[in-house]
Amino acid sequence: MYRGREGQWAFYLHRISGVAVLLFLMLHVLEMSSSMFGPEWFNALLAFERNPVFGLGLVLVAALVLYHALNGLRIILMDFTSWGVRYQRQLWYGVWVLYVLIGFPMFFTMLGYVFGGGE
Amino acid sequence: MAWRARRYEEAKRLAASNLELAWWIFMRVSGVLLVFLVLGHLYTRAVLLDFHRDLDYDYMVRVMNSATWKFYNWLLLFLSVLHGTNGLRYIIDDHIASGRARAWVKVVVYTIVFLVTAFGTLALWGWNYQPVE
Repeated sequence: MYRGREGQWAFYLHRISGVAVLLFLMLHVLEMSSSMFGPEWFNALLAFERNPVFGLGLVLVAALVLYHALNGLRIILMDFTSWGVRYQRQLWYGVWVLYVLIGFPMFFTMLGYVFGGGE
Repeated sequence: MAWRARRYEEAKRLAASNLELAWWIFMRVSGVLLVFLVLGHLYTRAVLLDFHRDLDYDYMVRVMNSATWKFYNWLLLFLSVLHGTNGLRYIIDDHIASGRARAWVKVVVYTIVFLVTAFGTLALWGWNYQPVE
């Protein structure tokens, strides 16, 4: 019923980001819980993950999570308010405004850690 | 007011069972909680913390010896696992037409999710993290 317009994109992006974040969640739980194997294993794993490829992946996951979170709030407004469905398109633009305001400082901070000089 | 009733009524009408309606509500309630939990997690572990340099075993030991963080992480783990797995179930139901294939995909997905969650729960509640001297 959205006919390929904003609502359709919002819907597909929500699903794709959700699946990607679930996949990351599984890997992230395994990775962090493997600290049970002790300091030698865990510190070696973290050293391996200091490759910027993983850092970039982490920023990508944060970017997907933030979209999913903000669009999820849009869905809740559509479900539980009298005006949400009528203004779903405007709400989606609102999602992107918040995305830039919250996301850009966050992503740049993270990129700074990944590519910055450190001490 | 009429619209509000209509949306919920719609969910209620479309739900195949009371269980499906409960999941529909759970997705919204857990969603709101997860917005705060996940953004808090990102803020403390990826913005305040230089995760690229300062995340190591010692940091993990400190987190795992704090009852507050353990509870926070446990809540985050369980809500995100349930929210994510149920979301994936919706997608599987929408995109896999064959009932047999659908059932098998679900068995595989639920098994993996269960094992990973058990591993995470063991780390949170069944392990004693000692500082390296």
